[in-house]
Amino acid sequence: MNDHYILKKDHLNSLLRRLMKEYRLVAPTKNPHGDTLFSIIDSIEQAHIDLASQPQGSIKPFLFPQQEVLFDYEHSATIDYHFEHTPDSIPTAFFGVRSCDLSAVLYMDVIFSQKKRDPYYFEKRNEAIIISLACNEPFANCFCNATKTGPFLEYGFDLQLTDLNDRFMVETGRAKGCEIVKRFQHFFEPVEERDSKAQYQAFLEARSHFKQQVHVEQAIKRLAREPIPEEIWESLSLRCQDCGGCAYLCPTCTCFTITDLATSASSGRRIRSWDACTFSGFTRMAGGHNPINSRTHSIKQRFLHKLKYDVQEHGRPSCVGCGRCVGICFGGVDIIRFINKACGQN
Amino acid sequence: MKGNNENIYLPYPARIVRIVEENNQIKTFSLTFTDPLRNESFEYSPGQFMMVSIPNYGEAPISIASSPSRPGSLEVSVRKAGALTTAMHAMNEGEILALRGPYGKPFPMKSLEGRDLLFVAGGIGLAPLRSVINFCLDKKKDFGSITLLYGSRSPEDVAFQSDIKCWQEEESMECLLTVDTTGPGWLGNIGVVTTLLGRITPNFARTSALVCGPSLMIRFVLAELSRMGFSDENIITTLERHMKCGVGICRHCYMDNTLVCVDGPVFSLAQLRIMQDTELC
Ligand SMILES: Cc1cc2nc3c(=O)[nH]c(=O)nc-3n(C[C@H](O)[C@H](O)[C@H](O)COP(=O)(O)OP(=O)(O)OC[C@H]3O[C@@H](n4cnc5c(N)ncnc54)[C@H](O)[C@@H]3O)c2cc1C
Ligand code: SF4
Repeated sequence: MNDHYILKKDHLNSLLRRLMKEYRLVAPTKNPHGDTLFSIIDSIEQAHIDLASQPQGSIKPFLFPQQEVLFDYEHSATIDYHFEHTPDSIPTAFFGVRSCDLSAVLYMDVIFSQKKRDPYYFEKRNEAIIISLACNEPFANCFCNATKTGPFLEYGFDLQLTDLNDRFMVETGRAKGCEIVKRFQHFFEPVEERDSKAQYQAFLEARSHFKQQVHVEQAIKRLAREPIPEEIWESLSLRCQDCGGCAYLCPTCTCFTITDLATSASSGRRIRSWDACTFSGFTRMAGGHNPINSRTHSIKQRFLHKLKYDVQEHGRPSCVGCGRCVGICFGGVDIIRFINKACGQN
Repeated sequence: MKGNNENIYLPYPARIVRIVEENNQIKTFSLTFTDPLRNESFEYSPGQFMMVSIPNYGEAPISIASSPSRPGSLEVSVRKAGALTTAMHAMNEGEILALRGPYGKPFPMKSLEGRDLLFVAGGIGLAPLRSVINFCLDKKKDFGSITLLYGSRSPEDVAFQSDIKCWQEEESMECLLTVDTTGPGWLGNIGVVTTLLGRITPNFARTSALVCGPSLMIRFVLAELSRMGFSDENIITTLERHMKCGVGICRHCYMDNTLVCVDGPVFSLAQLRIMQDTELC
């Protein structure tokens, strides 16, 4: 059973300031252009923490950066080839992470450990505290109700907050969350019955406010049962512009590439960068042969991986219903479009 | 294995102790780790591959061409295909590159015991099979007869000539060579490697076929072996894909729901059929 407490909104900034003494604080902030993005907060007063909008990106880049140095190397022809990895792990408190994005982190925890343990991911993950925010009001493209990754979660968070107007209901999940409550007891008050009722009410209302009806279950069943007609792959792939926007913004897309960046004739850095299975070069081999016809099948792996292969392997899809690819794709090749087509709708 | 904090991406330096020029496209490199302890503890099986690091060029997956039954040095045969492999060809004996691995599922050596083996290879595709052939020759009593069908583009392209010479002297082994286009002094077969299949009469019940080469060749050979009467379980091949991490995370080598780096690169035709691989079968 999770423990429940009340945190008055008046106390939020003081709590965050206390956390900032020990952690780098990352929260959704609105920039002067009106974009809401997760960013590092230097001063609570100056940052516009924005809990009302959907952050345009997830916290993926903080745990699995778009580009990261795996190590530096130095080569001397017949003497040595030396590799130096400098660990990069700043204890970080993530605040205001939505249920979908937290679910995506739980997925990455599996992806970066099940075959082999990825030290770069866990270097950062092990130093992270995640304070999530349940969604009282789903955003325009959200469908986490259909992927079962929100709007409220029961586990996975260190702390989960529910907005109850002038106060937050705080739930402890993992040990690090319990520790925060214990250490900063004076910020937390006991829960009254009306608070529990208000949270339940918020939960019920949130569930009824989804604007998208996405038949994720039905699509998963169909994919498990029969192949999708070739025309569907083709018509969607032909509209994919090879931009990678969906994969970059998607909180669960974790494909990457590795390249050497020379700093001299005999030294350099090995870099890992985000990649996307939708790119035509993703599977291209030396000599130019490509086992995948990227013109007609560029998006097949993306959707099957999320809705079929991950279901086979982990028992659940790896789309968390955040709706970001719906907003970003100018060719309309997003996952809702695909699910609708797979279910025989247009 | 200990060291390097078990960071799966960190390679280990290895010295090129010998280079053999197999033809004008292929060189075989004998390598030893600069750390003697690593040489001692390094273990692998035929069919596995290494990620080879060349400074400033990154990494490439390369099959191990030597046999674990011949410890001492690790051999890889590399065809000049692009930037990294060309840079590797420019390296000299004594120079240092780096390795991580071994990776991938090896050939099922245990279940091949007691069976006759038919190897069908094209070009550089003989590299991973050379590991198996030498392994079997070193454990002759565990395996039946060995037949190699090897195709090259032209007589000058025939690689692994010193190996072939040794193999031709083996009583339990037969080697049939073919070239696509003939040249002066060529006495062997002319035509693609499938033409050699017509010249053998294997006992299907007790023979397993191991195939490696360009994907088009694999496709034709698998189809022909199947037509001849080999069961899908007894036809085994090893596949090439674009790979970056080698350990099942980066996903470049996907084939539907499998990852060639960890689920393969060795697959039986039966497995390929389940995967509905449209390129090969
Ligand atoms: C399991 C396995 C075993 C192998 N064993 C051997 C072996 O024993 N011997 C051997 O010679 N070869 C082997 N290969 C093949 C070998 O890995 C390739 O020939 C090698 O990677 C080519 O590297 P390169 O840098 O020379 O080629 P390049 O053509 O320069 O390319 C290197 C990589 O970058 C990718 N690339 C190139 N251009 C682009 C682009 N425009 N966009 C995106 N990606 C691009 C290619 O797909 C390629 O994978 C094996 C491959 C695998 C998977
Ligand atoms: S596939 Fe689209 S909706 Fe699903 S998690 Fe990724 S970005 Fe969000």
